[in-house]
Amino acid sequence: VATTTAIRPRPALQRAWILLIRQLPPQLPIVIGLLVLLFVVGATLASRFGTARNLINVFEQSAALGFVSLGQTFVILTGGIDLSIGAMVSAAAMLTSGLIDGEPAMIAPVVVGVLVFGATIGAINGALTHLLRIHPLIITLGMAAILQGASLLYSRGPIGKVPLGFDVFAFGRTFGVPHGSALMLALFIIAGIWLRFSRLGRQVYAVGGDPEAARLVGISRARVLIIVYAVSGVMAALTGIYLVSRAGVGEPMLGQGFDLASITPVVVGGTILAGGRGGVLGTLLGVFLTSLLNNLLNFLDVSTFYQWIIQGLIIIVAVAAYVERQRHA
Amino acid sequence: MSNETLAVPRRDTRSFSLAGLADRWGLLGFTILLLIVAALATPSFLRPSNLQNLLTQAAPLGMVVLGQTFVLLVRGLDLSVASTMATAAVVATAFGATSDAIIPAIFAVCILFGLAVGAVNGLLVTKRRVSPFLATLAVMIVLQGARFAYTKGSNSGALPPGFRELGTGMILGLPINFVALVVLALGLAAVLQLSAFGRRVYLVGGNPRAATLGGIDADRVTIACYMICGATASIGGLFLVGYVGLVDNWTGRGYELDSIVAAVMGGVALTGGRGTILGALLGVLILVVLFNLVILLGLPVELQLIMKGVIIIVAAGLYVTRIGRLS
Repeated sequence: VATTTAIRPRPALQRAWILLIRQLPPQLPIVIGLLVLLFVVGATLASRFGTARNLINVFEQSAALGFVSLGQTFVILTGGIDLSIGAMVSAAAMLTSGLIDGEPAMIAPVVVGVLVFGATIGAINGALTHLLRIHPLIITLGMAAILQGASLLYSRGPIGKVPLGFDVFAFGRTFGVPHGSALMLALFIIAGIWLRFSRLGRQVYAVGGDPEAARLVGISRARVLIIVYAVSGVMAALTGIYLVSRAGVGEPMLGQGFDLASITPVVVGGTILAGGRGGVLGTLLGVFLTSLLNNLLNFLDVSTFYQWIIQGLIIIVAVAAYVERQRHA
Repeated sequence: MSNETLAVPRRDTRSFSLAGLADRWGLLGFTILLLIVAALATPSFLRPSNLQNLLTQAAPLGMVVLGQTFVLLVRGLDLSVASTMATAAVVATAFGATSDAIIPAIFAVCILFGLAVGAVNGLLVTKRRVSPFLATLAVMIVLQGARFAYTKGSNSGALPPGFRELGTGMILGLPINFVALVVLALGLAAVLQLSAFGRRVYLVGGNPRAATLGGIDADRVTIACYMICGATASIGGLFLVGYVGLVDNWTGRGYELDSIVAAVMGGVALTGGRGTILGALLGVLILVVLFNLVILLGLPVELQLIMKGVIIIVAAGLYVTRIGRLS
């Protein structure tokens, strides 16, 4: 905090850091506080909760939620929403295991193909959102129905298989660091830098914050929307591949619930549904908060049913609290 | 006073405006065309038993759509309707399957429950300024958790036998639940088109700021719309379990989306202030007829999903572009 008030000119790198800190959403202290609180409470209530072993497990298990939430953050920053994520995860998972079908040589082309598929579907979402001028809620719901229907037509149950060793993505660790989560962290860092410092990143915020102003300064709304929805599509496809790595096979309901689940960390992390404010750092903390909370509730033997209640209350409390802060600000 | 309100020139939502007429006849034309195509595509479509089936299936969704329309009109969105339906059904089982005499009491309690859920949604949206999407999403999840915690996840509980009659019975050749839908729809359409409250709904949805400046308590109107939606969702839930014959924790699953799709297809604008009950119900009819066709033509059921997706996008797209030209 002290660095932000200094007046002396500073080297470029340090200025970049200051810029970064200044641009952080004001909700971040709340999320960090909640994380600390949760950790302290958890460590007190369950002895094994605070162990490094458990924390690494939580980190490992948060990868899937992290992927989808990262994509959702891009979309929400433009004031949109992507509800086709769950169906995309299922479709990608089925394509992955269905097309690889136990053939090691097929892994590379199928993985690339599935990611391209995700990007393409996402780009269509973005293009339709721009062209039709309907709320993306409707467009992506429509796309979700199409993807889900197509997945079920492809197969009503689990399909295909993957070779041994494909699970290295989900379960492998290098120097104790889980691969999936390491990739998640790397993607969050790249996304954070991209959003903060690239031209396109600023355009994403502009389109979400003030669409009219963005139009007047010549930002192509179509281009921005196509890119953010494509990012969301790629992340959902990646999640599908990750889940196949974890479960060994893809099935049509694998991604169910991921679209709504992906929204919670984004919102808890302080990104505003109206768009234009927030960022991926908040989402990352939101992912950790959600995963840690679920882990603690499991430790405490709280049934899934009460976990749902708690999840709903968290959304209400987080959003209501943030809104109050904004009004006072 | 009410005449003055009427005289204010604003984007018209009433049937006697040219634009409104074009909207409504366009939709009606499309519905009739769809019915003709359906009849030509498969002769069994027009069989009385199929038509009765169609209306029986459409009625619970229609009830939910009525309330959803009110919420959409005030620029809202209610994702908690399906959860409200299932929870109302579970609440109803708390009375036990004693006698049909308690059915009115069950309805009363469930409607009160729906009103309470709607009030929570409405208060979150207005007083806490939570976006309707998130507020109703959170309420949906909380209700789901509470319901499962109560039933412990099983399909527990039975209802008085009369519910089956309400859900599947016929009166003068028409399904009872469809007659109930018509009565409910007429009542709510009258409220929307004839009462001062109805005008306020359109004003708040069309331009909340202007409505507030004009002395309308926009928050109260909005809360009332969410309460109406909660109540119709509860009623729809009770009729749906009557039709299905089983109280399930997932009763009405998917209705949150179907109700929005039907209303939007029926010309209710997601941006608020525009749309009618009749239009929304035509949207329901279109949706149900299309689903029915998939079954009758012996196509894979999965096609229903794909079709739903395509219609949502195409219909909403067409409608929005048309509105764009008109205004």
